[in-house]
Amino acid sequence: MFENATKQLRETVEAALPELNTVVGWRAGYDPLHMTPVFIKNAGDLSKLEWSPFCVQNLSGYLVKDPAVRAQDPSKKIGICVKGCDSRSLVALIQEKFIERNQIHVFGIPCRGTVDWRRVMKLGPLTGIQSARVEESRLVVEDANGGHTFALEDVLARKCLRCAHPNPVIHDVLIGEPVTPRVAVENSYGEVERMEEQSLEDRLGFWKKELDKCLRCYACRNACPLCVCQDRCIAETREPRWLTQRVGTSEKFLFHFIHALHLAGRCTECGECERACPMEIPVTLIKEKLNKITLELMSYEAGMDPEAVPPLLTFNPGETGL
Amino acid sequence: MSGKAFIPRDSLGAALDRLSKKIEVWVPAMSEEGRWGVEFLPYRPGMRPVLDRQSTLSPKRVVFPQMETLLRFEYIKDPDDPAKVKFRLDDGQEVKPQFVFGARPCDVRGFFTFDRVFTEGPFVDGYYRNRRASTLFATLVCGEGDAACFCSSVGSGPADQAGSDLWVTPVDGGYVVEALSERGREYVALLGDAPSELQEAAARKVQEEAAQQQVGDPDLVKSAPSFRGRFEDLDYWRSMVSQCLGCGVCTYVCPTCYCFTITDEGKDLKGERLRSWDSCMFAQYTSEASGHNPRPTKLERYRNRVGHKFSYFPEKYDGMIACCGCGRCIRSCPVSIDIRKVVQELKEKANACA
Repeated sequence: MFENATKQLRETVEAALPELNTVVGWRAGYDPLHMTPVFIKNAGDLSKLEWSPFCVQNLSGYLVKDPAVRAQDPSKKIGICVKGCDSRSLVALIQEKFIERNQIHVFGIPCRGTVDWRRVMKLGPLTGIQSARVEESRLVVEDANGGHTFALEDVLARKCLRCAHPNPVIHDVLIGEPVTPRVAVENSYGEVERMEEQSLEDRLGFWKKELDKCLRCYACRNACPLCVCQDRCIAETREPRWLTQRVGTSEKFLFHFIHALHLAGRCTECGECERACPMEIPVTLIKEKLNKITLELMSYEAGMDPEAVPPLLTFNPGETGL
Repeated sequence: MSGKAFIPRDSLGAALDRLSKKIEVWVPAMSEEGRWGVEFLPYRPGMRPVLDRQSTLSPKRVVFPQMETLLRFEYIKDPDDPAKVKFRLDDGQEVKPQFVFGARPCDVRGFFTFDRVFTEGPFVDGYYRNRRASTLFATLVCGEGDAACFCSSVGSGPADQAGSDLWVTPVDGGYVVEALSERGREYVALLGDAPSELQEAAARKVQEEAAQQQVGDPDLVKSAPSFRGRFEDLDYWRSMVSQCLGCGVCTYVCPTCYCFTITDEGKDLKGERLRSWDSCMFAQYTSEASGHNPRPTKLERYRNRVGHKFSYFPEKYDGMIACCGCGRCIRSCPVSIDIRKVVQELKEKANACA
């Protein structure tokens, strides 16, 4: 079912390509469960472009962070492929004036969920994976021992199971038909609610245990499209020096909570931080808590309206709800 | 002593219990029950080692911890004469003998890169040398390569015994263990009784099959000339590095990445000098006191990472590649950058240019 969508994506991109600098999309990675970003510059590269539930990466960060993408002909737009969640990062970047809406051409793709390869491997065992495809509500993987079928619910990324915005909120062209959201946003914070039911001591214990595994490789930070400080992150500044080189939980705790607080009311819950973590720490959950507060107190959801001003980026003397 | 033992699968825990009474044991285990990731953790009775897949983190930190205290210092003021200050320094290192059970050939080979730099040059790193000399490896004959594995491409293979003290072969019903070093031999009898002839034959078959396997197609040795030839081909590097997020996960999961930083962490009159992992992918890594950074973007940083492993290191150390082909950098990369492809295309395009 994704062959058609890929075909349609390639055709749509081909039609727009002459007017664009580059189109950022996905291509096949090192095995059938992995995709990798691709920068399409000419029609000869179009056959690399793919769309499937393995296209996990949120590509919008490249528009801000990659010097090569930014240093192109300013008279032409940059094309970018986005899922529903990714499009919200674009909106947030537009709001914060990192990119201009009229500088980008958005290929929006309604998404039924992306596959978390680690969940697949856990259900395995799989050796020598030859192919993987999603058919309706199943994932079919062929490996050296034959075919294996998994229920999609068992292998989708955590963020996809609580997705309220599967359709791109901004787009210049839509690839495929809009899909029905799994949940309404008010009902998407079930995991946060379960955490809230625990005592403060238990919650602290949970995060200490989880964050103790952190390597401080900063994959979570760098994969975040809205972590825009890049080489100026306070986790690494030397003057002043906020974090030591110690590997204790307190350093890791401090980093992750600074990271989360810098994203309060900005995070669009694309889940890239959690996906990028080699230690599988559920770091998006911290940001979900902050977003739940933002939603309850300020009725604000990040990355939905390019014209809106994020509540923590403004000052309103008549603020209600606080 | 035959130097061989058989550990029935359901007695692995008991064997490790016996071993861990004699020596600190590290095993690959799930960092959290129910997750995919595996790391090397100190063995405690009841723990279940995960031997059916490669660990997410290599056993690098068993010998080269992410952070270690090089020395502790303290200024002691004389209460009777505030102008007099005594200085106390403690640079002692406590090293215990330790056994890594369930490493893979690539994991062990990773330490060869460290050895050249830390123990075989004009300066010997005592902290590394002491821990390295006190560590033994019981290595699995590897049968679970995936699409990211490429040990054969860098001159190793799934049956590479180099650097191991015990050789652990999974067979039906358990593991056949044999000693490869004199140090390893001391521990064999602890692990189990001598294997039967059938078990030994089964182990030989597994070993032979593993030795036949070619894990990874491209030949990545002798890449230095093509790297040098295309060092300034910025278009090539830009095309290879555009996807890179600039995080440090590839270097932290890597068994051969040995770069570190040294910092003094202290408060008031007391402190410690720490050595901790650093990553060439970070901006601060080459940041100079003047504020100048000779590797200002991810392009220069990524090119250095490839160059270090496949050009600078082999040129300095008799052709030895600073990569063990474990594939962790590929598997853990959030955007699935494939270092094999970067090096291989370097060679192919260099040939095409010539």
